[in-house]
Amino acid sequence: MIQKKVCMVGLFGTGKTSLVQRFVHSLFSERYLSTVGVKIDRKQVDLDGTTVALVLWDLAGRDGQDDITTSYLRGAHAILYVADGTRRETCDQLPELRALVREAAGEVPEVVALNKSDLKDRWAITATDEQSLASAFDLVRTSAKTGEGVEDAFQRIARATLATREARP
Amino acid sequence: MTATAVAARVDASGLTDVGLKRKVNEDHFVIAALQKSAEVRQTSIPDPRVFDVLRGPEALVFLVADGVGGRPGGALASETAVTALIEYIGRAAGCVHQLDVDREHEFLGQLEAAVHEAHERVLAQSGGKAQGPATTLTMATLVWPRVYLVHVGDSRAFYLHKGRLKQLTRDQTTGEYMVDAGVWTEEQAAKAPMGGTLVSALGGDEMTVAVGLVDLQPGDVLLLCTDGLTRHVGDERIAEVLKRAPDAETACRELVADALAGGGHDNVTVIVARMQG
Repeated sequence: MIQKKVCMVGLFGTGKTSLVQRFVHSLFSERYLSTVGVKIDRKQVDLDGTTVALVLWDLAGRDGQDDITTSYLRGAHAILYVADGTRRETCDQLPELRALVREAAGEVPEVVALNKSDLKDRWAITATDEQSLASAFDLVRTSAKTGEGVEDAFQRIARATLATREARP
Repeated sequence: MTATAVAARVDASGLTDVGLKRKVNEDHFVIAALQKSAEVRQTSIPDPRVFDVLRGPEALVFLVADGVGGRPGGALASETAVTALIEYIGRAAGCVHQLDVDREHEFLGQLEAAVHEAHERVLAQSGGKAQGPATTLTMATLVWPRVYLVHVGDSRAFYLHKGRLKQLTRDQTTGEYMVDAGVWTEEQAAKAPMGGTLVSALGGDEMTVAVGLVDLQPGDVLLLCTDGLTRHVGDERIAEVLKRAPDAETACRELVADALAGGGHDNVTVIVARMQG
């Protein structure tokens, strides 16, 4: 079976763990517990008859005290960046995070999950900001709470890893 | 620095105590080294010490298990789980050097498979009876600088990094699950009689393996413990002991003494591993 390492990257509190919980276990919790180190989950995705086993590395989010530990990114086949629409800085720092990731993992497929779409009335970014992000990244609006866009985001990641498998098995 | 060199510079120690209320100690622990094995019996090489590299540890395994109290055979369950895991890992994951991405995922898969095999062995002891022997399990495998964790139940793994204590595992208890689900507050979970009931255990009706990892640095301290420690000793005190103790053995003694001074209601087991600079 094809196995692909996907790293979840973003600032703290953007909902990385919640997205994995929703995707893998169909669960959502309002409770926030920051991830320490890396939490690993697996889920198989079927793509047109091909089964891809995604090994999801949920990395501790960047916060004021700790940056992303880049050694965790080594060998990643794809990156799922997670930003929180209600916190502008989580979107503003994406280019910087991308540079950090590329230094460690090279140019691998990437998708941005613009999370917390259920709180759209509280978003701190404008439609123009969102368009600007979408021009730089493959962007999917998600909500770990309602499930909106979650399958789509991980399906896109899985497809992207397959698309590049010839170049980098 | 090679894995061998660093593994040799880990100061690790473990200690278990029956506590003040229980008659039987149902906890078990292991500190084990995984190593390449080549015993050179005869050679024409002038200095056979060149082969010493094949004898050093490649990885260190730390493991605590807490037999579930109130069920018959708790001590046997934790012993069975520990034995099964070490056997499996010795067979399947003896060579852990140069883990690339694929081999790392294979290794993680082996760790999970080892837990499932241990679960099956504990289940076999009860002959399929409900409420048979069961145990928690928290295992950390150090392949410097990375620690691979597999965890079932409510024993815990922590690490002290730059003076801050961080919990690496989450308790698999009714209380935690109810708080997650938004049904209880943390205060309600702490007070609820069923709050500490395990929802996942080896030998239990449900067994979910949580998997994680963390990269350590020289100066970091790893702690594995059963709930006999954490029900009596708070995080701040644990951090203080880990920071201040001159060696792992002293830290273990102090932590166990604190648990006993706090009431010693349960068996208490700790493993402390200090990554020396």
